[in-house]
Amino acid sequence: MSDLTSVDNSAHDHHDHKPTGWRRWAYSTNHKDIGTMYIFLAMIAGLLGMAASMAIRAELALPEIQFITDSQFYNVLVTAHGFLMVFFVVMPALIGGFGNWFIPLMVGAPDMAFPRMNNISFWLLAAALVLLVLSGFVQGGAGTGWTAYPPLSNADYHPGPAVDFAILSLHLAGASSILGAINFITTILNMRTPGMSFHKMPLFIWASLVTAFLLLLALPVLAGALTMLLTDRNFGTTFFEASGGGDPIFWQHLFWFFGHPEVYIMILPAFGIVSEVVSTFSKKPIFGYLGMAYAMAGIGVVGFVVWAHHMFTVGFNVETRAYFVLATMVIAVPTGIKIFSWLATMWGGSIEFKTPMLYAMGFIFLFVVGGVTGITLANAGVDMAFHDTYFVIAHFHYVLSIATIFGIFCGVFYWLPKMCGNMYNETLGKWQFWITFIGVNILFFPQHFLGMAGMPRRIPDYPDAYAGWNLISSFGALISLVGALMFIYIVWVTIRSGEKAPANPWGEGATTLEWTVDSPAPFHTHEQAPELEPKSAAQPAE
Amino acid sequence: MQLSRQNTNHRVSNKFTAFWLAAIAIGMVGVAFASEPLYKLFCEVTGYAGTTRVAANAVSNDKILERVIEIKFDSNVNAKLPWRFRPVTNGVKVKIGEEVIAFYEATNLSKKPIVGTALFNVTPYTSAQYFNKIECFCFSEQVLKPGETVQMPVTFYVDPNIKNDVWENDLKTITLSYTFFMAEDQSAAIKINKSEASMGKAAFGVPRNQIREVFSYIGDSNLKKGENL
Repeated sequence: MSDLTSVDNSAHDHHDHKPTGWRRWAYSTNHKDIGTMYIFLAMIAGLLGMAASMAIRAELALPEIQFITDSQFYNVLVTAHGFLMVFFVVMPALIGGFGNWFIPLMVGAPDMAFPRMNNISFWLLAAALVLLVLSGFVQGGAGTGWTAYPPLSNADYHPGPAVDFAILSLHLAGASSILGAINFITTILNMRTPGMSFHKMPLFIWASLVTAFLLLLALPVLAGALTMLLTDRNFGTTFFEASGGGDPIFWQHLFWFFGHPEVYIMILPAFGIVSEVVSTFSKKPIFGYLGMAYAMAGIGVVGFVVWAHHMFTVGFNVETRAYFVLATMVIAVPTGIKIFSWLATMWGGSIEFKTPMLYAMGFIFLFVVGGVTGITLANAGVDMAFHDTYFVIAHFHYVLSIATIFGIFCGVFYWLPKMCGNMYNETLGKWQFWITFIGVNILFFPQHFLGMAGMPRRIPDYPDAYAGWNLISSFGALISLVGALMFIYIVWVTIRSGEKAPANPWGEGATTLEWTVDSPAPFHTHEQAPELEPKSAAQPAE
Repeated sequence: MQLSRQNTNHRVSNKFTAFWLAAIAIGMVGVAFASEPLYKLFCEVTGYAGTTRVAANAVSNDKILERVIEIKFDSNVNAKLPWRFRPVTNGVKVKIGEEVIAFYEATNLSKKPIVGTALFNVTPYTSAQYFNKIECFCFSEQVLKPGETVQMPVTFYVDPNIKNDVWENDLKTITLSYTFFMAEDQSAAIKINKSEASMGKAAFGVPRNQIREVFSYIGDSNLKKGENL
C-alpha cells in the first residue's frame, strides 16, 4: 500500500498543534476532544440521574410517604432517571466517549471519517440534555415513565408542554446518535489500517460496529413513533387515540421495536471493552475470537425480532407468545458463547487482578445474574405474574444499568492512562471496586424478593409487607453512592496528580493499536497508517 | 480536513458509504410510518386485538351448529361525550352460526345535537376472527338530537369454522364491547342545528317510535331473536 504513505505528509511536523481556549472545545473536530466532552457530559448527566435515584430510594426506604408528597413529582423523578441514564449517561459514555476516543486509535485512522459531523453529534446531544432538564420545570414535568406509553403521555393526561419538551429532547438525542452511527460505521468500514481485515479487528471495534448498525436501524423508528405522539398531542392526529381509530398498543409495538435493540446498544460496547480487558490482563488472546465477533452480530440481528416480550400482557394469542418466548430464549445462546469465551480466556491465563480486570469480572458476574432472571422473565406465563414488578426492575438494572456501568468504569480505569497520561492509584481503585460491587448487589438483589412478593414499580408507597428489604435496598444505594463519588474523586486525582503513565502500562497482554502511541495520546495520531504486526491485533491463536 | 488521511480502502469513498447509511436511516423512518396502515390491515385480516370481521350475509341454515355460546354485551362512554349508552339486554345465548340481532340504546343528555362514533372489540381477542358482523351502528357515525333516545341494532353471527380451531374448544362466552366517543367531524350535528330538518332519523339509529316495526320485522323473517338471559 505504498500510495498511503504519500497521502498526507503536510501535517505531522506540527504534531501537537491545536486550537486553544473555548474554541478548542466548541468548534472541536478532534475525535479525542469530542470523546472527552461526551464522557464529561455523561458524568454530569450521571450525577443528575443518580440524584433522582437517590430521591427515589430515600422515599422507598420506609412504608408510607416520606417526603415526596406530590405523586406526579415521583413520576417525573422515575421518568427523568430513566431518560438520563439511558440516553445521556450510558450511550454517551460507551458510544460517544469510548467510541470516539478509541475507534480511530484502534483501527489506525487519524480521526473519524466526518469530523465536523462528529462535532454536530455532540452538540445536538448537549442541546437534548438541556431540553430534557427544562421539561422538568414546566407544568408538572413529564411523568410518563421512559416508555411514554399513551394514553398517559397524550394530551389528556399530560396536557402541558413538558412531554413535548421531552419528545423533542429525544428527537435531538436520536439525531445525534444516528449521525454518530453513520460516522462510526464509515470509519470502521473504510479507514482501517492496511492489513486489518474484518477478522483482525479488535473486539471493541466489532462491538462498536454492531452497535452503530443497531442505532441506525432502531433510532429512526423511535423518531417516527415520537413524531406520531407529538402530532397526536398537538395536531389532532389519532395514531394512538382509540377515539379516532388508532391504537395505544401500536405505540408499544413501535417503542419496543426500538427499545429492545436499544438495550443491546447499551450492553454491546461494554461487551467489547470487557473482551479487551479480559484478554489484556489474562495475557492471552481472546478465546474463540470469531465466535465472540459473530455472537455480537447474532445478538444484534435476533434483538430485532423479540420486541413483544416486553408486552406479554396485552392479550396476544398463544402462538404469538410462544414465538416471542422462543425467540427471546435463543438470545441466551450467543450470550452464553460470550460468557464461556471470557471464562475460557481467563482459564490458564497469567491473570493480573488490576482494577480494570476486577471490573471486567464484576461485569461478567452481574451480567450472568441479570441474564438468568432474563430467561425467567422470557417465559410469557411467568411474565404475566412479574410484569411491572420490582423483579423486572432488578432484572434490567443488573444487566443494563450496573453491568453497563461496570463496563464504563472498566473502560475508564483501563484507558485513563491513555486519555490523561497518568496512572490511577491502584489501591484506591480496588477499594472503589469492592465498595461499588457490594453496594450495587445490596441495592438490587433484594428487589428480586420484593418483585416476587408482588411489589409494583413506579409507586412511591407500599404496604408494610414490603418493608425491610426496601430499607436494605436503600442502604445499598447509599453504599453505591459512596462508590460513585469515590470514582469521581479517583478520576480527579489521577488527572491532577497521578503518576506518569508509559505508552503501554499493561505489558505484553495489551496488543491493540492504541497502546502503540504515547500516553497521553497526542492531539494527532496515526497520521501515517500504523504497521499492523502479524501478532499485534486481538486475533485468535489459531 | 487537511489532516485526515482519508479512506484506506479505495474501493468506496466515505461520502458514498455515508450516503447509503443515511438512506437506511431515512428508510427506517419510512418503515415506522408505513407500519401504521400495515398494522391496521394486519388487525383486520387476523382479528388481532379483538378486531371483528364484517360479513355480507349470514351462513346457510344447514351449517348452524348445535353448540351454544353466550354473547355478553358491554358498553362504555368516553368522558367527553354527554350520552347515556347501554345494551338493551345483557346478553344472549346463541347457536354457533345463527344470525342474531341485538340492540343498544343511546340517549343524548346534552342540549345540543352531537355526532358520536362507536369503537368495538370482542374478548377473548382470539375469538374475534370468528365474530362476524353483518350490520352494525358502529359502521357509521350517529347523530343524536338533544334528549333524543335511539335504539341501535347490531346483526352478527359466530362463524361455524370455529369448530376447527382447537384453541377455541372450551370457548363458552364472547363479550362484545362498544365505546362511544365524540366524533371528530361534528358537521352533521351543525347541519341539524341550522335547518331543524327534524326528520329525526340518524344514519343508522332507529327512532323510538319505529322500534315495534323493527321487532315485528324480526318476527316475520327467519331470524330468531336471541333468548334473553
